[in-house]
Amino acid sequence: MYGGDEVSAIVIDLGSHTCKAGYAGEDAPKAVFPSVVGCINQMDADDDKENNDSETNNNNADSGKPKGKRKLYVGSQALGFRRDHMEVVSPLKDGVVLDWDIVDNIWDHAFKDCLLIDPKEHPMLLAEPSSNTQLQREKIAELMFEKYKVPALFLAKNAVLTSFASGRATSVVIDSGGGSTTVAPVHDGYVLQKAVSSSPIGGEFLTDCLMKSLESKGVVIKPRYSFKRKEIQPGVFQTVDVDLPHTTESYKLYSQRVIASDIKESVCRAPDTPYDESSYSNIPMTPYELPDGQTIEIGADRFKIPDILFNPSLAQTIPGVDNFAEISSSARGLPQMVIESINRCDVDIRKELFGSILLAGGTASMQQLKERLEKDLLEESPQAARVKVLASGNATERRFSVWIGGSILASLGSFQQMWFSKSEYEEHGASYIQRKCP
Amino acid sequence: MEAAVVDAGSKILKAGLAIPDQAPSLIIPTQMKRMLEDQDGFSADNSMSEDVTVDPVVRGCVKDWDAMEDLLHHVLYTGLEWEVGNEGQILFTEPLCTPKAVREQLVQLLFETFNVSGFYASEQAVLSLYAVGRISGCTVDIGHGKIDIAAVLEGAVQHIASRRFEVGGSDLTKLLAQELGKSNPMVNLGISDAEKLKEQFACCAEDEVAYDKMLRTSETEEHTLPDGQVIRIGREKYTVGEALFQPSILGLEAHGIVEQLVRSVATVSSENQKQLLENTVLCGGTTSMTGFESRFQKEASLCSSAIRPCLVKPPEYMPENLELYSAWVGGAILAKVVFPQNQHVTKADYDETGPSIVHRKCF
Repeated sequence: MYGGDEVSAIVIDLGSHTCKAGYAGEDAPKAVFPSVVGCINQMDADDDKENNDSETNNNNADSGKPKGKRKLYVGSQALGFRRDHMEVVSPLKDGVVLDWDIVDNIWDHAFKDCLLIDPKEHPMLLAEPSSNTQLQREKIAELMFEKYKVPALFLAKNAVLTSFASGRATSVVIDSGGGSTTVAPVHDGYVLQKAVSSSPIGGEFLTDCLMKSLESKGVVIKPRYSFKRKEIQPGVFQTVDVDLPHTTESYKLYSQRVIASDIKESVCRAPDTPYDESSYSNIPMTPYELPDGQTIEIGADRFKIPDILFNPSLAQTIPGVDNFAEISSSARGLPQMVIESINRCDVDIRKELFGSILLAGGTASMQQLKERLEKDLLEESPQAARVKVLASGNATERRFSVWIGGSILASLGSFQQMWFSKSEYEEHGASYIQRKCP
Repeated sequence: MEAAVVDAGSKILKAGLAIPDQAPSLIIPTQMKRMLEDQDGFSADNSMSEDVTVDPVVRGCVKDWDAMEDLLHHVLYTGLEWEVGNEGQILFTEPLCTPKAVREQLVQLLFETFNVSGFYASEQAVLSLYAVGRISGCTVDIGHGKIDIAAVLEGAVQHIASRRFEVGGSDLTKLLAQELGKSNPMVNLGISDAEKLKEQFACCAEDEVAYDKMLRTSETEEHTLPDGQVIRIGREKYTVGEALFQPSILGLEAHGIVEQLVRSVATVSSENQKQLLENTVLCGGTTSMTGFESRFQKEASLCSSAIRPCLVKPPEYMPENLELYSAWVGGAILAKVVFPQNQHVTKADYDETGPSIVHRKCF
């Protein structure tokens, strides 16, 4: 039992694209940074700088983690600086953590550099995917208690937290984030595991499709580090390419993705009707200025890319999307996933579920997505059901709704007795977490 | 009675009564000297002694609370002439990413030791923007201990788009001392002398090309130090300014100031980016370096972004050298709004709820 008044819990949501961390009780996370890290294997690199994530030389010796073999660079500042031989590595694959060392570094960065706190003094609330395995949970508990010595821990499922953020105990949560889209029904605060379905089509897939589509039209997205502007005469500027031969492919791809996802966020909209080539061929083009000064025009792609969420087979029509074959077998459109998911639940709650469908995640903040989803669901759902799709108006809130739910949960008075405390961990072991955090 | 506004920086503490459009009445160094009789003391100028110096504020954050208490004692009772038993209201500024615990400790110190009647805290970025008459924009605050790049929308700091660097004027001083040591091996240069030299001589080259040219020519000036030694300063003064735009000179793997600004603002949604970049404010002592502003504008036109940062001109009724204490002036403006409207933390609130009240009342 951990009961503290004036307790200042920390809420962490490690997503596939960004990691969000901050204090409970606040309305937005303070630390938001990519959950990929830059990694230099000592074998090919010549540098031996002390830095790992902040650019100062007063890092303590034990906060640098060279590990003998590789150096990791965490955080948007460190990742934004191009280094020779730096690969971009993600700790997660399909939502499952593969590399605990990287996760460890990410948490360390969040605590020591972004939030400036000592983990020993704050209980931690971690958000986990709705279909997390027992092994993963135990590993998290072990890492948190043994390494960071936190006083208390709680693992909450993403879907439950989003539900709380909107003030409902029963709903269907569509969490459309960077790496995947998950549809999970929540009933009275518990996720109905048998009805959870997930699809690998997420924001990153859409960004890749956009990039391939632009490439096929001849647009070259130059990463920010690859050019410099020079003033040849007063007032006249010229962009000059900079050649940096030791930059890895993964870093180049990462930098291009950052720019492409900005294009996607500012220009793409979900179409009101399913996309088809002919009707959208005469769309007026929207201009977008790339960082190097090039202005590109985006026409049909504005609507084609978001429609992939509803109709995944569209991605096949984009030249260059190669690994689609593996994805296409499991991918269904969003409305189908929702209907399927609700149909796997008990008949009595289906009506309530139809009436509270929540949108969460970065990709869900796309414009017009809510309206289009509502329309599609009205067509496919049974007659008697009243379909209502809810999404908070503010795009930032949608993006961080899991984190906000965690912030609300951790600051509730009635929650304070539910923490999994250090003493309980020492008494019962990591497997006790299954009982404490359902 | 007017509220007091205190801006405790790593090097200089600015304090005064909240009379906007004026410079703060008390500008003293934050560094203190420890007296021998087991009591912390202080002296207003500490350039000559080699005694144990105490820095209560390190890299923008208060680290030594006992020293801070003594410093505030001097500031409030002697400097601002408060009377014991009739303490007024106080507004404190704080840097980006201040941990919650530090805030709570400050509140506790002020209410319990000093018995103030009202308290408010605000972030320096927001205040610097108020000083130039804006509620949205970016601030680039280059202080002695840290650089804060913050994006503020409608008075709220967007933490997603804000960055902090643990580099500041103190590191530039060390760089200058190092460089001068290389070119003047005979001269023994102390840190405080290097600090004075930096303030007097440091400047920024017009752009990278001009900087490279400066490196090759070596027109030197001679300068006499207080202890009589003669030192030659040539291209080192440009190196100091250049380090802000090319941090590799300091040995860091990072982009220059303008590039960092543009990248951090790029994480905000596009509709707001224009508003943010077009209202960029420079503040902090280091930005008053000769040629910094024009170099910044030059780099801004060369940066890799569609929207170019534009600097804001401070209003004419503001005092000169606004960047040295823009956070203080903004605090004075805010104090005039917050305290009369009772939006601050009062003694009664504190007694009832405890230090955590500060998180609820002060954003």
